[in-house]
Amino acid sequence: MTIQTELVRAVELFQLPFMQRALMGGVLTGLMGGLMGSFTILRQLSFFSDTLGHSALLGISIGFLLGLDPSWVLMPFTVLFALGVTYFLERADLWTDALLNIVYSASLAIGIILLSLREDYQGGINNLLFGDILAVQTGDLIFSAMLLVVCALFIGLTLRSQILLTLHEPLAISRGVAVSAQRTTFIVLLSLVVGISIEAVGVLLISAFIVIPACAARLLSRTFTQYILISAGLGALSAILGMVTSAFLYWPSGPSIVTAQLVLFVLAIIVPKPHSWGTFLQKIQSPKNSKGSFKK
Amino acid sequence: MSDPVLVVQDLTVYRESYAAVQNVSFTVPAGMDTAIVGPNGAGKSTLIQAILGILPRRSGDVFALGQPLSAKGRLPAAVREQIAYLPQSFLFDRRIPITVRELVGLGWDRLGLQLPWVGQRARRQAVREALMRAEAWHLRDQLVSALSGGETKRVLLAYCLARPRRLLILDEAPAGLDARSETDFYQLLHQLKKEQGWAILQISHDLDMVRQSCDRVLCLNRTLLCEGTPDHALSPETLSLAYGADFVRYHHSCQARAHYDHSD
Repeated sequence: MTIQTELVRAVELFQLPFMQRALMGGVLTGLMGGLMGSFTILRQLSFFSDTLGHSALLGISIGFLLGLDPSWVLMPFTVLFALGVTYFLERADLWTDALLNIVYSASLAIGIILLSLREDYQGGINNLLFGDILAVQTGDLIFSAMLLVVCALFIGLTLRSQILLTLHEPLAISRGVAVSAQRTTFIVLLSLVVGISIEAVGVLLISAFIVIPACAARLLSRTFTQYILISAGLGALSAILGMVTSAFLYWPSGPSIVTAQLVLFVLAIIVPKPHSWGTFLQKIQSPKNSKGSFKK
Repeated sequence: MSDPVLVVQDLTVYRESYAAVQNVSFTVPAGMDTAIVGPNGAGKSTLIQAILGILPRRSGDVFALGQPLSAKGRLPAAVREQIAYLPQSFLFDRRIPITVRELVGLGWDRLGLQLPWVGQRARRQAVREALMRAEAWHLRDQLVSALSGGETKRVLLAYCLARPRRLLILDEAPAGLDARSETDFYQLLHQLKKEQGWAILQISHDLDMVRQSCDRVLCLNRTLLCEGTPDHALSPETLSLAYGADFVRYHHSCQARAHYDHSD
């Protein structure tokens, strides 16, 4: 088969409704992950988002055991779990990463034990761990789009408070920012984003959607606003690149998107940084740095 | 005389199991510079943080611009807007990508729900004026993480200056500034007080500066030891109570030597 034939096949593939839904789902997940991820990594909540992803397995297992649709159990479970863990972290006088490790391992272990009680769990575990973006339905897309709008409104309307809170909490309190309310709302939205993305990208890969585009954006940005926009943009771009690669090379979709995120991250490390450009421009514009060779 | 901008009544604040500040009452009049002095661990920063609602208080009342600080540390937004606070240390994650312009802009912003692009022209103008006034305009496009300690202080001062205020609260603000910048800093405070009527409440360890620049002094060592003019509050008797007699003897010998060198 020639490359041209493969290209035609890949293009034809994207004319199928399930591929279009998958692409749209990937872009929505990428945008949400990038947007919320930008604040998540600065507030050092990356491991928290990973723990939320793994706890989702426990939520799904409980849904299975109760004979309910796991999708309906997952969202409220993730939110309640996130709030419970936050409460626990604020009150326990122990290291956050150690406590999160306990929660993370325990919820994974209990989730797998509960799933083992069901005879039909074996087939589904793979999809739970790695997700199945090709199975995204129109209802999922509508819910994702609504959640994206809510996240964008929250970040957009409280942007200044969020920045000050991330930068220096006492300064934010002295300006009257309702720290507890802002933080709780952020955690609830983050857990909803994680919960809704689990079916598409899986328990193991969800934190990549939160962390990698934001880290790449941090390397590429010069201002806070740029950083948030680039993070969301890279999330969406990696979803498109990943889906195209997946269609072209027959790779699984979720892992292809994460690989695309990794490639963008590596590129962000390699390319010259905006501050280097600034220094370079200052150097060539500064009269101090002219060697005087043009003097007559 | 106009109403005081800050009234503190019987304020008690606990740090874990001990009272870091106990039954402290005082007022800060409008247009006056009030200094809080006292040894390390006297509860000065704790007092200020409780006034701002950063730390919870055990008992007592705080009124800022006539409005009570709620038990949860809340004040009306219109009151918050008129109070600026410059913390003792500005520790933040240096990987956060924020420029000087963005940080000073936060000093101008009203922090309720708002669209980020509303009022951009006025914001830019306010940021420019504040940075010029703090002599930090040349730093405008730098990342805050790239600034030295003294430059960071200037930028934070610009953050406070971005909007007209009625009360400026400073926690050892000039620490980290060089001698010239420190003089400029106090001149600017004097100007804000005289020309714009700002009240200033500042923690300081520089007793000579307090004697020269401040109108009133609160001498604190967990409780308020005395309150009054610098001459009264910084008398050897009061300082002995706060710092101990040895310190006062040493301080006076240094002052006498400086006076002798100067007249020589």
